[in-house]
This record gives sequence, structure tokens and C-alpha cells, in this order.
Amino acid sequence: MELSPALRARGLSRRGFLRATAALGAAGLAGGCSATAAPPGATKVTIWSWLTGMDKYVAAFNGAQKDVFVELRVIAAGLSGGYAQQTNAIRAHNAPDVLHVEYQGLPQILLTGGLRDLTADMADLESQYSPAAWRGVRPDGRTWGVPMDLAPMVFYYRKDLFDQHGIALPRTWDEFRAAAAAVKQVDPQARICSFPLNDGSFFAGMSWQAGDPWWTAQGDTWAVDIAGEGTLRTGTFWQSMISENLVAGVVHGTQDWIAGMHDGKLWGLLGASWSVGTLGRSIPKDTGRWAVATMPTWNGKPSNGVQGGTAFGISAESKAPEAAMTFLRWLSTNPDVPKIGSTFTTPFPAHLPNRAVARQAYKGGYFIGDPVYDVLDEAAKRVPDWTWGPNALRLFSTISDSFGPVRGGGTTLPDALRKIQQSAVADMRAKGLSVREGKSA
Amino acid sequence: MSVLAPERTPVLEERSAEPAVRTRRKDFAGLVLAIPFLVLLVGTVLVPVLYALYLSLFTERLSGLGFSGPEHVFVWLGNYVSVVADKAFHAGLGNVALFALVHIPSMLIGALVLALLLDSAVVRLRRMWSLAVFVPYAVPVVIGGLIWAYLYSPTIGPIKNLLGIDPLSDTAVLPSIANIATWQWVGYNMIIFYTALQAVPKEIVEAARADGAGGLRTAWSIKIPVIRPTIFVAVVFTVIGSLQLFTEPMVLRGFTGTVTSTWTPSMYVYEAAFVAGDNGRAAAASVLLAVICAVLSAVVMRFSTRRSSR
Repeated sequence: MELSPALRARGLSRRGFLRATAALGAAGLAGGCSATAAPPGATKVTIWSWLTGMDKYVAAFNGAQKDVFVELRVIAAGLSGGYAQQTNAIRAHNAPDVLHVEYQGLPQILLTGGLRDLTADMADLESQYSPAAWRGVRPDGRTWGVPMDLAPMVFYYRKDLFDQHGIALPRTWDEFRAAAAAVKQVDPQARICSFPLNDGSFFAGMSWQAGDPWWTAQGDTWAVDIAGEGTLRTGTFWQSMISENLVAGVVHGTQDWIAGMHDGKLWGLLGASWSVGTLGRSIPKDTGRWAVATMPTWNGKPSNGVQGGTAFGISAESKAPEAAMTFLRWLSTNPDVPKIGSTFTTPFPAHLPNRAVARQAYKGGYFIGDPVYDVLDEAAKRVPDWTWGPNALRLFSTISDSFGPVRGGGTTLPDALRKIQQSAVADMRAKGLSVREGKSA
Repeated sequence: MSVLAPERTPVLEERSAEPAVRTRRKDFAGLVLAIPFLVLLVGTVLVPVLYALYLSLFTERLSGLGFSGPEHVFVWLGNYVSVVADKAFHAGLGNVALFALVHIPSMLIGALVLALLLDSAVVRLRRMWSLAVFVPYAVPVVIGGLIWAYLYSPTIGPIKNLLGIDPLSDTAVLPSIANIATWQWVGYNMIIFYTALQAVPKEIVEAARADGAGGLRTAWSIKIPVIRPTIFVAVVFTVIGSLQLFTEPMVLRGFTGTVTSTWTPSMYVYEAAFVAGDNGRAAAASVLLAVICAVLSAVVMRFSTRRSSR
């Protein structure tokens, strides 16, 4: 099981392939865990992560050199326990050397004061990263993490059905509304896509596109603007789509959603780069039905949101920060990593040269029309400024809680957003943070 | 235990010793035997409880952007005040109260009726029936919750078509959750009641029958009064279980936005600790929840002893 993806790999150099195979074999012997014996004299670096395939990357790194030995512990993903475990470890002064953070979770982890300032260590790499990813690890202008991947949002749609019924691919949100009405007219049971209300990071990605960042670090103060013009415009648009019953409400990734996607009840998905993998896994028989396009825009102005993306930080109390940095630089910038990644997923690295490697290794065949990496690249270029705040993760719960009554008519998205702004500001002030309401100066 | 064994031997040998010495030795032996329990009690109950009490008096205060790290501040009962004043906590208590109102009567009456049916001679295939009702208890709660969530899903599940209402909508989600819990626990409580019914003296039942009581009358006037203490214990456990409701709504939350992140007090604690990262507030909320559980159990027990002694 460990070896088969590597054996299927294309585009791997022979040496790289052998190295990866040997390393994977070693990992396999150790029962899928990277705790093979460290070579004598190697500096030990511990990492906690929930990234899919991290065991394979670590094994390849340990196999490729003898100076640093990385020990991986797989932890629960993000809000399922990963963040709590890492924050508590920082509080208890026994954090691992390398911590898993997502861009959206980085400022919240920073509140523990447990991450090392990497500004000097990373300075030389700035030009090699996608600007959106680079900004993601620099909420206050200092570098706190090493970017791994980026997840720009894109629109996946049933090109076969759109073409068959003469519905043009919507390029603006106004066209999107018309297309949604057309889809419903063709099949009263079908909708253009779902708009899940219990997913705060999804709504944040949709609002990101509108160009009003929810937080901005202004010197020593957070400017908080969750009910800004762009976000309210997004909320108003989707409120009308929901009120007119033009979108479904099923939660992405559930059995209900998978069934709808496969049975032609959902003709599209407002997804992210990682949805390429989700589609391939959830509806593998749908080959040749789906296509990818950049998101519809507000009045044709190119802009694009992001949903997710991984980076790694180094613990402030790490005894081996240099060795940890060696590993993270390798993980983020070595071309072997996307090659290994392409054997089991569709990586979209934050590191631009590595993205070219991933594009080369992409097997394709599932989607019709535009090449996937072209669309993702274009989407990544369009990402406007955005800063995640120190309460972003908690805000996702607040959003999901506040949006709950929307479908039953208990509230509307714009009303809920105004309340969310108030509660976010109160929450941040209660913690002692310096907060200013409204748009950044 | 092997380490402790030699110390017991002298106690047995000195049977002829003075009574005073004997009792002292006996106390000592009792203490030694209690050590494993005490260690676990202290290590897994008392220390965490005391630590939670300690944590509940502190909070983390930040300043500026917050990136220079937190400062621990003693806030007296500040965390308790903020939990008690929090509308989300009230809503959570309201939800479990409603849940208990639906779940406790339906589950316990269901369990009691099934146990009485099993106990009466009319039931054939007794083992198969009891196993069939008991099996849901053997299903892990998360798995059971997921299976029900699929059944409840509006497009792939049959329940919306059968009942004509969406079981995951904001009005129906509470009964839906109560239904999962009832399904899960009815068999367990049935076994408890059935076991208690087995202990009802046959003479009383036969005497009742000789006096002309039918099956229903025997159940109502003889069997239920005799097993009343068992019923009250089941009520206490169910009340506590209802207050601590967590897994079923947590699973359904992945399928619908109608279950909020603080839908029950236990979820409120989870949200505070694992999402908001506010350990002080989480500790205060869990202490409050424990106090509410203790008070309610005491009330139910009091009620039970008064009823039994009448």
C-alpha cells in the first residue's frame, strides 16, 4: 500500500524514484510511522502534522540526507483537535519543533506566543512564493511560518450538462444568477451548486473575493471589518439566491452532496484547489463530465478567494531551530516533494518552481476543457489582500451558528453578518486585544 | 498487588491477638486494599477536578495584536460570571432540558414496557427479542449517530419521504437527536429493568394472581412498585446523561447548520476549550455543569426515597 503510489509515479527521476521507494519501504517496515532509527550524529526534529502524505515526505527527507532526522506524529486535523493539542503543548512547554498551522489558524496560534520569528531565515525566499501565500505567513509583517500550499477557490461545473442545455459558463455573479435560474428551469430538482451555511471558512473564502479583508493589522491594533461593503455585498447576493431557492443547502462532502453531484442534481461546486482530489475520490465515475473555471467575478473585475492552505511554524522553544528550518525549506521548496505528492493527491504548492513540478506530474484525464493547473494558477494570481485575525477559527463557529436560522427565514445573511461583527469585536476586546471597528485606515 | 500480599499474612496469623489490635490491623488491611482504588480516584478524579477548579479562576489576557503572548490573570469568579451571563450557555441548558423532556419519558417507559413484556410469559423467542433491542447499545455512539444522520439526510435518507418533514430542520432536529439517544439506550435500560423484575419474589406475583389480578394489574400494582428503586436509579443516570449530551448533536452538526457549536452545555465546554482556546471559561462551565448534575441527581434521589418510604 505504501509502495503502489510510488510505483505508479510518472515524471520521477530514476534516482528520486529509487530514493523515495527506499524511504517508503523503510517507513513501511516501521509500520507506517517514521520512527526508524536516527543515523548517529543526526539532529532530531519532531513534527506534528495532519497533512495527508506527510509520512511519505518525512520518509523521503530522512532517506535523502543524514544530518537531520525528522520524527513525525500524526495529529487530528485542525479544529478536530490538532489546534487544541498544539496550543496546549505550547502552554505546557513541550511543543514539538515543527507545528502544523493553516494560514487561517496562524494568528490564533500566535496568541500563545509559542512560534519562532522566521523573518530572517525566510527573507531570501520571498520572490519564490505565491504572493497570497507569502502574505499568509506574515500577518503583521514578520514571517511566522513556511508556506506549503495554497488553496485558491475555483468553480467546478458539469460542462456536459451546461453545453447540452446551452447554458453559458457564468463569468460574473449576475450571469451566475441567470445560469442558476436556467439550471432550475431545465430540471426543477437540480441546482447550480450548494451554498453550505455551516462552513465558516467557505463563506470567508467567498467574501475574500469581494476585496474587504475581515482583519488588518494596523500597527498595534486590529482593524476588524466583517460587515464591510464587500462582505455585505456577498451576503446580500447569496441571501437572494437562497430566498429565490436557486441554490441547494447541502453540506459539501456529505453523502447527500456526493449523491447530488453524481446524480446531476448539483451542476457545480464552488470549491478550492483541493476539491480536485475530493471530486476524484467522491465521484470517480464522473470522468469527462466536469470542467474547471475561475470563479465568477463582481462586474468582471478579476478577483479570487482562498479556502485553506497549509504552512508550518517552528516552536519558540525548539532546541533545534536550524535543523527544523532545514527540513521545512526542503519540504516547501524541494522538487521531490510535489513529485511524491502527485502520486496520491493533486498538490498546489505555494512555492512557484515547485508548482511547475506539480503541474508536470499531474496526470489529468478527469476534467474536460481547460487544464486544471492553468485555471488554478490564474486563480492564485487574482487573490487580493487578506489578513486572518487572531479569532478566525472561533469566528468560523460563530458564522456557522449565526447562519443556522437563515434557511428557515429566522434571519438574513446581512443581518447575521452585522451581529457577527459585533460579537467578534466584543470577543477580541474581552481578550485584551486592541481593536478598531471598520475598514482599515 | 503482589507487593501488598505479604503484608496481609500477619493479619491472618494473629487471630488470637487482642480485639483492639485486631480491629486496628483490620483497618490497616482495609486501607491497603483500598489503595489501588484511592490512587485511581485521586489521579483520575480528584486531581483533575481540583485542577479544573484552579483553572476556572484564571484567564489569559492579551494586549495589542496579541503576538507577544498571554499573561495569566487571576479573575476570582469572572469566568463563572461570564458563563452564567452567556446566552449561548442558557440556550444549551434549554436544549438539554427539552431533550430530557422528550427523551427520559419515552425511553424509560419504552424500556419498562419491553421489560414487562419480556418478563411476562407471553413472549416467544425471548432471547432474540432482548438481543434485538439491546444491540443498539453495543453500537458505538458515533457510528450510530452517523447511521442516523444518513437516514435523516433529506435527499438520500428515507425519513423525509416517510414523514414529510426534514428531520434536520431547526424545529425537528431536537426530536431527531432524542430519537437517536432513545434508540441507543432503550435496550440497556430494558435489561436493567428485566433483571430487577427477575428478582421480584414469585410468591407475591402468584398471590396477586390467586387474588384474580390479570397481567396488566400485576405489572402495575406489584411488579412496578417492587422495582421502583431500580427505576429511580435509571432516572438519575438518564438525567445526568441528558445533561451531558454531546456525541449525537456533535455528529449531526456535520450534516446541518441547525445544531450550533454550543448546542448543549457539554458542547459549550468543548467549544470554549478546543475552538476558542479559553481554558478558564471551559473549566468554569464544566464546574457549573457538574454542580447542576449533582443538584438534579440529589433532587431525584430525594424524591425517590420519599416515594419509596411512603
